[in-house]
Amino acid sequence: MNFLKNSRAAFPTLFRFATVLIGTLLVLFITFFLHPIDNSKLAGGAAVTVVVLGLSWLIGLSGQVSLGNAGFMAIGGYVAAIWSNHHAHSPLLVTFLLATVCSAFVGLIVALPSTRLRGPYLAGVTLAFSAAISPLAISLNTLTGGSGGLFVNYLVTPTWFAHFIGGSNELIVSNAQWPTDVMVVVAGVSIFLMSNLFNSRTGRAMRLVRDDDVAAELAGINVQRTRTLAFVVSAAYAGLGGSMLALLSGSVTPQTYSLSFSILLLTLMVLGGMGTLSGAVIGGLIYSYSNNLVSLVNNITGISATSPLGANLKGIVFGVLLILCMLLSPRGIVGFAGAFRNLKKRVIK
Amino acid sequence: MMGNVLTSRIATDFFGGVTSGIVIALVALCLVIIWQSTNILNFAQGAMSMFAAFVGMNLVFHGVNYWLCLLIAVLAGMVSGGLTERVLIRPLYGKPEINPVVVMIGFLGVVEALAASIWNNESATVPPPFSLTYFESNGHTILISPNAIFQVTLAVGVMLLVALVFRYTNIGLQMRAAALAPEVSKLLGVRVDRLLTLGWIVSSGVGAIAAVIVSTGQTLAPTNMDGIFVSAFIAAAIGGLSSPVGAVTGGVLIGLTNYYVLDFWSPNIAPLTSVVVLVAVLFVRPQGLFTKNTTRRV
Repeated sequence: MNFLKNSRAAFPTLFRFATVLIGTLLVLFITFFLHPIDNSKLAGGAAVTVVVLGLSWLIGLSGQVSLGNAGFMAIGGYVAAIWSNHHAHSPLLVTFLLATVCSAFVGLIVALPSTRLRGPYLAGVTLAFSAAISPLAISLNTLTGGSGGLFVNYLVTPTWFAHFIGGSNELIVSNAQWPTDVMVVVAGVSIFLMSNLFNSRTGRAMRLVRDDDVAAELAGINVQRTRTLAFVVSAAYAGLGGSMLALLSGSVTPQTYSLSFSILLLTLMVLGGMGTLSGAVIGGLIYSYSNNLVSLVNNITGISATSPLGANLKGIVFGVLLILCMLLSPRGIVGFAGAFRNLKKRVIK
Repeated sequence: MMGNVLTSRIATDFFGGVTSGIVIALVALCLVIIWQSTNILNFAQGAMSMFAAFVGMNLVFHGVNYWLCLLIAVLAGMVSGGLTERVLIRPLYGKPEINPVVVMIGFLGVVEALAASIWNNESATVPPPFSLTYFESNGHTILISPNAIFQVTLAVGVMLLVALVFRYTNIGLQMRAAALAPEVSKLLGVRVDRLLTLGWIVSSGVGAIAAVIVSTGQTLAPTNMDGIFVSAFIAAAIGGLSSPVGAVTGGVLIGLTNYYVLDFWSPNIAPLTSVVVLVAVLFVRPQGLFTKNTTRRV
């Protein structure tokens, strides 16, 4: 245990790299044994983890509330769909990078005026931005396919992977598993990069800006630039996650990135734990199994899933969870677990 | 000659813009009332108003008189506003500014989902108390109907009433004092916590009227107010979030901009233009157009 602590202090980046690598490999290993349905759930969770990570960085670390990340997801999703429909043979990495960069660029345009604003103002402006994205996508119909959206058929399982899986129904199994493994790897890389950002000079500067911007300015930090950077990084992560989700679901439509999706993202982030890496992963997992969670509530309360109440239960459950979490444990599951650990320590001592 | 002016495209858009802008202004006024008293931006304003409108106007389909339904909607709005402040908002005073934002967004989700699950199969339109037929001049339509006149009159009437209450009554004076200097007001015997609740009650009642105006002649849908809420926030922010006059001016301005853009350009561009207008205004004057320069940062 001591050795672990010492090596963590001596080689922080290497330690983070090893942790994320082991975690990613472990999840990849697990995907070989999961049912295809669970695999596709996991893939969606990995995509949402990336988005929540960006949101957690923005809200948790820099203290800026954005409701526009569904809008940036839409940009990433559309860019990935349009690009891969025209260049079916371009490598995955290029597609993901392109979606990320485009989204970050739009993020910069939005950030330049918006990051001068605070709290509710910023939340409102980003809300208005994300509300404007869907109509914009509809009006650019030659590019985006209008209100029907676009279909993507890009994530083709390579033959070597199918052979690698083997077995009698190798195609069915590998078609479910290949996208999942791709998404898990992308999520792993994103988590590693973000963990470095969290602990970088910029990350520390960001916390200071959040807690006391006057002190930050006196310490020689460019407050404006730090806030803008936070926003751009968050937009880039949202764009990447959006492109992952678009490739996974095989389509992008303007309706996907609605206000309720922004609310869901916020809920996942708050539930997991604002401003923490593990919180984002927990948020992604909750997303993966959100339908199971809702049907659990269905079973307990005896509400039929097809009744009007049952059809809207997801919105109600997540809204209530968000409110309760904010009122009772604002630091989410991670914060709750931390408090529990401290309590245990004190009792043992 | 007169007829030509009134039926021209510019004038038509103007009438349409003012009619929709006045509703936006009304919702923006609600946001300002709550912002001034409690420094909270009520993200659930649109959804709460629509819920209240549902409670009242749903009765129209069961044969209840329109005006009685309007009254019930307003009462429902006031009760729900007061309860929201007492139960949800009160524990949040003095917390970081993120907390109320997150809670109100969660509440928005809950209210909309609840409304959709309770009134899921009401697709009938709310019958308007006045005719929806537009006036005509030499065979050309002027975009004014008796119903539009009623909507504008009602909205302006409510605004004037709110202004009069805040300006000339004792309770209005106390509310302004509580918003301006809560500590001093407390020392002078003003019961500030009650007035905060009252602020929420007033704004939710006004919001319910706005939602009824929007839904009259339309189908009742839980998301009727979503777009209007976004426009109302933009309007309020243009005015500076703490200026009622600014909010109303901003509302009419946004309504007009939307109408001209959707007519001369494309309806799908209109939401983006209002964001651009807002960003441009905030870039020049981050404190809004209608508030005095202060050192407070937004």
